Amino acid sequence: MMLWRGIWALLAVAALVLAVLLPEGWMWPAKEMQLPMARWISAGMKWLTDSAAIGPVSFKDLTRGFAAVVEAPYEAARVLLVDGITEGKGRRAATIVPPLSWVAVTVAAVALGHYARDLMLGLLAGALMIYLAVFGQWESAMVTLASIVIAVPMGVAGGLALGIAGWRWKPVERVLMPLLDLMQTIPTFAYLVPVLVLFGFGPVAALLATVIYAMPPMVRVTLVALRAVPAEIMDFAAMAGCTPGQRMRKVMLPVALPDLMVGVNQVIMLSLNMVIIASMIGAGGLGADVLESLRRLNIGGGIEAGLAITALAVVLDRLGQALAERAGGRQALQGPWWRRHPRLVLVLAVALATGLLGLVLPAVQDWPKGWTVTTKGFWSGLMEWINVNYFDQLETFRVWMLEHLMLPVKRFFFALPWPFVLAVLALAGWRLGGWRLSALAAALCLFVAVTGLWEQAMMTLYLCGISVLVAMAIGVPLGIWAASSPSAGRGIGGVVDTLQTLPSFVYLIPVVMLFRVGDFSAMVAVVLFALVPAVKYTAHGLRSVPAELIEAGVVSGATRGQILRKIRLPMAVPMILLGLNQTILLALSMLVITALVGTRDLGQEVYIALTKADVGRGLVAGLSIAAIAILADRLIGAAAKGARERLEGAG
Amino acid sequence: MKHLFLTTALALALAAPALAQVESDDPIKLTLHDWTGQLITTNLMAAVLEEAGYNVELVQADYLAQFAGLETGDLHVAMEMWETTGRDAMDASIATGNVVNLGETGMKAIEEWWYPSYMKEKCPGLPDWTALNDCAELFATAETAPKGRYLGGPVTWGGFDEERIAALDLNYEVIHAGTDAAMFAELEAAYQRQDPILLWIYAPHWAPQKFQGEWVAFPPYEPACYTDPAWGSNPDATHDCGKPTGPIWKVAWKGFGEKWPGAAAAVTAFTIDNDTMGAMIAKVDLDGESIEDVVDEWMDANEATWSAWIAQ
Amino acid sequence: MTPPVKLACRHVWKVYGPHPERLAAAGADLDAIRASGHVGAVRDVSLEVGEGEIFVIMGLSGSGKSTLVRCLSRLVEPTSGEILYDGEDLLKASPARMIEIRRHRMGMVFQNFALLPHLTVLENVAFPLEVQGLAREAREARAREVVALVGLQGRERHFPRQLSGGQQQRVGIARSLAVEPDLWFLDEPFSALDPLIRREMQDEFLRIQRQLKKTIVFITHDFDEAIRLADRIAIMKDGALVQVASPEDLVLAPADDYVRAFTAHVARAKVVTLGRIAAAGVPEGIAGTLPAAARVEDVAEQVVAANAPFAVERDGQAVGHVTPAAVIAVLVGRGG
Ligand SMILES: Nc1ncnc2c1ncn2[C@@H]1O[C@H](COP(=O)(O)OP(=O)(O)OP(=O)(O)O)[C@@H](O)[C@H]1O
Ligand SMILES: [Mg+2]
Repeated sequence: MMLWRGIWALLAVAALVLAVLLPEGWMWPAKEMQLPMARWISAGMKWLTDSAAIGPVSFKDLTRGFAAVVEAPYEAARVLLVDGITEGKGRRAATIVPPLSWVAVTVAAVALGHYARDLMLGLLAGALMIYLAVFGQWESAMVTLASIVIAVPMGVAGGLALGIAGWRWKPVERVLMPLLDLMQTIPTFAYLVPVLVLFGFGPVAALLATVIYAMPPMVRVTLVALRAVPAEIMDFAAMAGCTPGQRMRKVMLPVALPDLMVGVNQVIMLSLNMVIIASMIGAGGLGADVLESLRRLNIGGGIEAGLAITALAVVLDRLGQALAERAGGRQALQGPWWRRHPRLVLVLAVALATGLLGLVLPAVQDWPKGWTVTTKGFWSGLMEWINVNYFDQLETFRVWMLEHLMLPVKRFFFALPWPFVLAVLALAGWRLGGWRLSALAAALCLFVAVTGLWEQAMMTLYLCGISVLVAMAIGVPLGIWAASSPSAGRGIGGVVDTLQTLPSFVYLIPVVMLFRVGDFSAMVAVVLFALVPAVKYTAHGLRSVPAELIEAGVVSGATRGQILRKIRLPMAVPMILLGLNQTILLALSMLVITALVGTRDLGQEVYIALTKADVGRGLVAGLSIAAIAILADRLIGAAAKGARERLEGAG
Repeated sequence: MKHLFLTTALALALAAPALAQVESDDPIKLTLHDWTGQLITTNLMAAVLEEAGYNVELVQADYLAQFAGLETGDLHVAMEMWETTGRDAMDASIATGNVVNLGETGMKAIEEWWYPSYMKEKCPGLPDWTALNDCAELFATAETAPKGRYLGGPVTWGGFDEERIAALDLNYEVIHAGTDAAMFAELEAAYQRQDPILLWIYAPHWAPQKFQGEWVAFPPYEPACYTDPAWGSNPDATHDCGKPTGPIWKVAWKGFGEKWPGAAAAVTAFTIDNDTMGAMIAKVDLDGESIEDVVDEWMDANEATWSAWIAQ
Repeated sequence: MTPPVKLACRHVWKVYGPHPERLAAAGADLDAIRASGHVGAVRDVSLEVGEGEIFVIMGLSGSGKSTLVRCLSRLVEPTSGEILYDGEDLLKASPARMIEIRRHRMGMVFQNFALLPHLTVLENVAFPLEVQGLAREAREARAREVVALVGLQGRERHFPRQLSGGQQQRVGIARSLAVEPDLWFLDEPFSALDPLIRREMQDEFLRIQRQLKKTIVFITHDFDEAIRLADRIAIMKDGALVQVASPEDLVLAPADDYVRAFTAHVARAKVVTLGRIAAAGVPEGIAGTLPAAARVEDVAEQVVAANAPFAVERDGQAVGHVTPAAVIAVLVGRGG
């Protein structure tokens, strides 16, 4: 123990000395050791799109065919929610039957909420739908909803299928696991271009990109949930004489359903996270509204559209959770179908009635423009007020942070020789998780070195490192506060949830207005986004400390502060480490977006590649980000495991 | 659900033939990007093609990524390809033989260093570029001081500003914005405070309409300036001049002209000038009018113009 | 007059670890197995269960009871050995054949009930029939019968979580009986229940068994439970059988110290039968006749109250008599 402390201290001093003495970029990987990976990938991609074929069917035909299959249900959802039934194609189309009216959709939301739990939930869902209408977001929200209602089932079904395959066949799992890691860590921008090329331009490609992004947690949850089916139940299935298919369908999936719903919830949330990026490649809807507003510096418009996304997320999330809790609790009604499904009948009736009534009274079909409310003026006024009155203070703060924190750290990272970085990572890997982790760490580090993106990688480390530091410095105390009382917990929880679902683009522009283009703005944006897990995991870790331990502390006369410091926090360390892990992953996933304010990191590489449609360049940079993310994940995961084992060993 | 499809199918089958006879009833796909001018141009073109009886579909696509779609025929027409930002990609795509240039839109892209009018009081030598060095301190921020700060466009836009600064020996540093949104956000904030700012602005765009300001007057661009060091004030360096202005092109999938010759002629004939476009952009971005309304207004007012495009 | 053998297993091994076959084939002893990093969950077990018999397997936690029973039902694939059900070697049966056998001829009750949380009582009970493809009407009718058999009428539409532990296990029992199996496995079915409920369930179990006469393999680690229910008891230790005998013989003639320690605290009156303490001949003035298989505990009150000897008979034949003194001797732990 002492020895290791000494070694780490020595390494830290060495790093500092190196950073002070050496010029920036003193020993970055030499040009000779770079591999032209981008070229290889581009060539591979070209081969895939131009020549790859299975017999007479080219690979591209296959993917295009798949896109066409997906398009049908998507079109159906559009018909229901957005377009109605139209005559003619393209813009010349004339509506024959209108889409569901806002009244009908709202009533459907209420009915679903009532079905899933109770009237309260129904009213909440209904109120949020009305919110969309009042703020003039209805049509865009329905466009977004149409793609979400297709993307979510696809993500769930695909995730289930892969999860089941991985559960059933070990080799599948072995292939799947690293693939999932990559899918979750490679920034979406990196595969947008391949998706466009393979699946064509338009909403379907955006839909598929969403599915790729949102599916991995479902796969993981499925694997875990299937494994968690009690052994006795599995034995029972065998004794009842189930065939493997019956066992899966009739026993395992229903038993695992509550766990699986956690995955469904994740898919919903991630699909909504993708709304903005999907709109960049043609999904339209709220995401496009956000982007368009921001491009016109219409901050209020961006916030309104962004909050509409949050509202949709809240509705879908709450309904999903309620449905999950309800799963298995149904008590079928008796009688003919219209008696057994009274809510469905109601919704159908309302849809029909409002559809017809809408012909004479348009307000029933479409929320009248005159009834919409807007807060745009308020937001831009607020921004202007802050900007004009407080800019000097903010500027002083910004300069101070830059000079005292950010620039020194940046210099530090830029000065490190790459073999040193590699050695430290390998050593840390070995310490925390044995030689396997050590080898992985070295391999990933080497990968980044040979991509020729070392500078960008160091920039990434610096920016993410600082942001994570700041996020933890703010998030952990907030988490402690949230855990201290239920009301604080609710308040902070609400803010944090909103931050999580509000697209980061919405606050990117105000941040730039107040802090100018540059690293500091990027950091602020990353911190806002990555703060969430730091708060949540800390609060959760503190809350789940066993009551007996706290009682033991109280009985031995510890003060509140002592209990926090000596009992709660140490017990919560594994959880807080997990939060740190998530914070890092989120920070990395924000990189691409911060590229939009001008950072020169791996995210910028990916973004440049996107705008130049350079598949290889984007994927190489994306893989480098993935390498950093996986590295951080494994190292911290190992550390958290160690911490947990120490606690359990002690307890 | 099945029912709905059936009805749709029936409706499609019974759909009346188009107003005028056109070569193909398949929708022509025009690409939409993310700036207002392009949206207006494209919607105008779409409206005109529809008047001619064509069926049109507007597809969101990235400015440069769209070439992949144009080459395969997934997309058909891109209405704004700027000489200044898209030339390389356009040339590369045309070289594949699958994409053709349908000529100029009539609009000229201007891109140059720009400052708000109130800076003229503080730095009276402007707009002449030689005044820039005297005011470098004025434009400086904590990170760049004592150098002045010039807010450049996204790195992907190119623009050779680092070279320009070196060649003209300007005491400035380029800070690249990641997107134009970030760039204009900073401009708006500085403008609200009446703070110094020097940045890259392009036209046609709403910013020069909304904010009072001027372009910096560099030695005018000539092709030789970018290639021949001997040209211009600095005999040892290229880029000792301003940025080029250039046409905004229309490009299309090679098969566009074969499948819809009439539409191709109309697109080729389409022209509009900077002022008209600037006014329309301002209506949308500053007055909050919808693009459709602005387009309809133009269509009503200029029937003679667009009829001529489709008459051929 | 031993009943025909229903289920038999011969030299069954189940070894967990990297090279199980090698160890089982060599018949390695416990230390060798442990030393090589393996677990000998079942070691060379051979036994026979007669038709209609209640065969109880006992042992400490980890002694291999569950593994043995899962080998018998082939839920766990034995490392080696033979398992004969009605003379057919189950280990040679194809997967389809196994499904067939389990669907119609085996039932199993689980320690933690293993009910499906998303199905009602009725649906749970009907589940094995549903799997067989029986129509809803038919399977629900049958399910209602067994639900009634375990005394749960009126709760058919409840979900498992709405039932108490004892009720849940009744559902488990009903479900395992729905297919009318000949062979019935119960793996510690009552261990998760409170002592009072456990007793009630044991009575219930005996009542059902009297009615249905299944061949039963029953696991427990509770010796009192074993002696109440068992015709014969097998005691396991470290995966091997130590002794297989009637409860009475186990107590009175333990094979080794392990079994003795196991049975030391058992009140003898609970296991000793009248047949064993009967004295020869039938004296004058007997107060009545008692069966030889009756346990001392069950008749002690009657004998002591009568304060007179009772005749003891087996299969209608008098085999001797018991005196109150002999009964009291057993009760205080001396006789037998
Ligand atoms: N899948 C397995 N892998 C390795 N060892 C196992 C496995 N299953 C059981 N064992 C081991 O086999 C031995 C016997 O286990 P088994 O579950 O049969 O015991 P048991 O007598 O039923 O105990 P309990 O009364 O606790 O249920 C134990 O040492 C157990 O650890
Ligand atoms: Mg067991």
